[in-house]
Amino acid sequence: MNRRAAINVSSLPSIALDHRSPLWWGNLWLLVIESVVFAIMLASYFYIRLNYSAWPPPQVNRLPFIYDTNPALGIPTVNLIVILVIAAVSRWADRACFRLDQKVVNISLGLMMLLGAVTIALRFVEFRSTHFRWDDNAYASVVWTILGLHLMHLLIAALEALVLATWTFRKELDSKHARDVRLLAIYWYWIAGVWVILYGVVYFGPRLL
Amino acid sequence: MNGSALTQAPPIADSAERIALEATWTRGTGFLGWLTSTDHKEIGLRFIKTSFVFFALAGLLAAMMRWQLAFPENNFLGPDLYNQFFSTHGTAMMFLFAVPVMEGMGLYLVPLMVGTRNVSFPRLMNFGYYMFLFAGILLFGGLIANIGPDMGWFSYVPLAGPEYTPGKRADLWSQMISMVEIASLVGAVEIITTVFKQRAPGMSLNRIPLFVWAQVVTSFMVLFAMPVVMIASSMLTMDRLLNVNTHFFNQAEGGDALLWQHLFWFFAHPEVYIIFLPATGFISTIIPTFSRRPAYGSSAMVLSLIATAFIGFGVWVHHMFATPLPNIGQGMFTASSLLITIPTGMQIFCWLATLWGGRLDLKSPLFFALGFVAVFLIGGLTGVMLASVSIDLQVHDTFFVVAHLHYVLIGGSVFPLLGAVCYWFPKWAGRMPNEFAAKLSFWILFIGFNLTFFPMHQLGLKGMPRRIYTYLPESGWSSLNLLATIGAGILGLGLVIFFGNLWWSKKYGALAGPNPWRAGTLEWSTESPPPAFNFQNPPSVESQYPLWHDLPDTPVITGLGTEEREVLVTALMDATPDHRYSIPGESIWPFLLAVAASALLAGIILHPIAFPIGCVLCFIALFGWFWQGSSPHRPIKGTVAISTSPAVTT
Repeated sequence: MNRRAAINVSSLPSIALDHRSPLWWGNLWLLVIESVVFAIMLASYFYIRLNYSAWPPPQVNRLPFIYDTNPALGIPTVNLIVILVIAAVSRWADRACFRLDQKVVNISLGLMMLLGAVTIALRFVEFRSTHFRWDDNAYASVVWTILGLHLMHLLIAALEALVLATWTFRKELDSKHARDVRLLAIYWYWIAGVWVILYGVVYFGPRLL
Repeated sequence: MNGSALTQAPPIADSAERIALEATWTRGTGFLGWLTSTDHKEIGLRFIKTSFVFFALAGLLAAMMRWQLAFPENNFLGPDLYNQFFSTHGTAMMFLFAVPVMEGMGLYLVPLMVGTRNVSFPRLMNFGYYMFLFAGILLFGGLIANIGPDMGWFSYVPLAGPEYTPGKRADLWSQMISMVEIASLVGAVEIITTVFKQRAPGMSLNRIPLFVWAQVVTSFMVLFAMPVVMIASSMLTMDRLLNVNTHFFNQAEGGDALLWQHLFWFFAHPEVYIIFLPATGFISTIIPTFSRRPAYGSSAMVLSLIATAFIGFGVWVHHMFATPLPNIGQGMFTASSLLITIPTGMQIFCWLATLWGGRLDLKSPLFFALGFVAVFLIGGLTGVMLASVSIDLQVHDTFFVVAHLHYVLIGGSVFPLLGAVCYWFPKWAGRMPNEFAAKLSFWILFIGFNLTFFPMHQLGLKGMPRRIYTYLPESGWSSLNLLATIGAGILGLGLVIFFGNLWWSKKYGALAGPNPWRAGTLEWSTESPPPAFNFQNPPSVESQYPLWHDLPDTPVITGLGTEEREVLVTALMDATPDHRYSIPGESIWPFLLAVAASALLAGIILHPIAFPIGCVLCFIALFGWFWQGSSPHRPIKGTVAISTSPAVTT
C-alpha cells in the first residue's frame, strides 16, 4: 500500500446554509438573469417613451376619451406595502432557518402564501389602473408586460412557498429544507427590491417625465 | 517540467473504495438511464455531438445555397426556399451549433480541469440539453414542414412583423430562440457555480486554467446577453399573435422598429464573443502544451478576456450604422469597436510570445491553432475596416460582410474548435486521432475555407448584395461565385476527412493513456476516458500547470463519502476546503420539465392558450423534481476508512 499525503475532509460539515453553498450561487445567477430581464423592459419603456409627446398618451380607443391617463396610485401603493411586508416576513423566516426554528418557518411560509395571494389579487386590479388594454398602444404594451412579468414572479414565489410548506408542515425541518426556505426568502427580497424600482417607474415615471 | 507528478503517483486508496465509487456514481442502465443521465461528461459530449449534427445540416443548406449561386440565373433553389435556407443556416449555426458546442466543451472539461467530480447542478444540465435538442428539432422540423424562418437570422421588423410575414414562420423562429437560450443560461449557471465553488484545494484565482477562465467569462456574458434576446423575441411573438397584438415594434401605435434592432444587437454582438472567447480558451490551452511551456502573460490574458467581455456589450450599434442614428452616437460606437481590438490583440501577442519562447511540437492541434491565428487576423482586419462608418455604409449588406463574418466565426471559432476536438479526443475516446489524416484535413480545410470566403470580399466590393438568390450574367460576379462554390466543395471534403478520421480512430486509433500530449492541466491526470467519478482521489494543486510543476507528493483529497455522490466545496477566492456537498443523482423530472416547457413555448405558436396550460404542466414537473429530491438531510459519516494514508487536515 502506497502512502501519500492527503487532505482528509471527512470531518468537514456536509451542508452550508449561506453563500458557501453552491445552491446559494445558483439562486444568485437566476436573480441576475431576471434582473437583466427587467432592466431590458425598463430600457424599452424609456425608448418607446421617445415616440410620444404626451406620456402616457390619451385614451382615445374607447368612449369616453380619457385625457389624464396617469395610472391611479391607490391600489398599487397598497400592493407595494403588501410586497414589502412579505419581504419582512421573509427576513423573519430567513433568521429562523439558521436556528432550525420550525414554528417560525411554518408561520412565515403560511404568511407568504396568504399575502402572496393578496398581492396577486391586487395586481389584477393594478392592470385596470393603467386605463388601457395591452393592445391599445405601445405604452400600454410595455406597461402591461412589466406588470405581467412581475406578476409571474409573485406567482412563482407564492407557489414555491406552497411547495416548501408541503414538506415543512408535515415533517421535521432539516438543514437542507432550511436552506431551501432561505433561498425562497432571498427570492422574495429580490422581488420586493425590483418592484420598488418598477413601481417608481411605472407609477411616478409618467408624472415626472 | 519534471514529468507528470500526479499521473505517476499511484492511487492511495484500495480497490474497495473504487468499487464503492463506481457503484455510487455510475448511472442506471437502459433507455431510462440514458435519458436521465447526469454525468457532465456524457451530457457534455451529447451537446457536442448534437451540435455537430446541426452543424452538418446547416452546412448542407450552405452547400445548396453555394450551388444556387455558382451560376448566374440558376434555378436550383427558388427565392422562397433560398430565403428559408439562409435564415435557417444562420440561425442554426449561431444558436444550435456555435453556442451549444462551446457549452458542451465547457460542461465536459471544466469539472475535470478544476478537479471535481461533477457540475454543481447535474439535473439542471440534463434539462438544458433537452431544451436545446427540442429547439433544434423545432427549427429543422419547421423547415421540413415549409414553415422555416425566411427573414434572416436577425429577424428584423417590420419584415418579421405580422404585416409582412403572415403565417407561422417568424413565430417558430422567435419561440425556438427562447427554448435554446434557456439551455445556454442553465449551462452558464452550471459552469460559473462549478468554478466558483468546486475548485481543487489550492486552485486560487491565479491558478485557474486559462480555458476555465474563458468559460467563466463567457458564462457571465451569457447571463447578461441571452435574457435580452429572449425578451425581444417574446415581444415579437406577442406583437405577432392574433389574440395578443401588442405594439412594441408597431410604428403606427407608438412602437419602434429600431427598438428591435437595438435589443437584438445588444444580445447578438456579445453573442459573437460568447462564441469567440471559449475559442481563445482552446488556443490558450493548445499553444502552451505544444510549445512545452506555460502561457506567456497569463494574467494579461485573463484581463483581456474580461475587458473583451465588458467592451463587447458596448459596440452593438456598429451593426446599425445604416439606420438614422445621431452622428455622435455613430462616432462613439466606432471608437468602442476599434477599442475592442486592443485586448484581442494583446491575447494574440501573448500567444505569439508563448510560441516564440517555446520548443514547438508540431502536432495536429497546433496546426489548427496556427491556422486560427492567420485566418482570424484577416477577419479582424476587415472588422477594423467595418468599424468605420464610411466604409461600413459603402459595403453594408454586401458579400464583404459575409466574408468578414465567416472569417471571424469560422476562423475565430471553428478552427480552434476543430483543434480542440483533436486535442481532447484522446480524453473522450481513449484513443489517438490519426496525425496524418488530421493534418491533411487541416490543409484541405484551410485551402477550402480561403477559397470559399476570400473571393467574397471582392464580390462585396463589386457590389453583390447579401441574401439574393440569383444574379444576372452581366453583373460580372459569375467567376468569383463559381470559385467560392468550388472552395465550398473542398471545405466540405476537409470536414468529411476530419470526422472520418475521428470515426475511424475511435475504433482503431492507438491507445492514448492518461496524458498523451504531456499536457499540464488536471484533466490529463485521470484515465482516458475518465471514470464516472472523474478522480478516484480528487487532487489539490500548487500551480497553474499541476502536471508540470507540482511535486509528486502534492496531497490528494480523502474522506469524501462513497455512499452518496459527494464533492468537496471550496472557498471562492483561495479555494480552501469548506464543506462536503451531496450532488443529486438521476431523475426523470428534468426531462419531463423540458417536455412541458417546450410544449409551452412551441404551443404558443398555435394558440396563446398554450401559455397557461404549459405553466401548469411546468409546475407539476417542478413539483415532482422537488419532491424526488426532498429526502431529509442527514449528516453522512459513511466514508471508507483509509488507515494507511496519513491525514493532513487543513
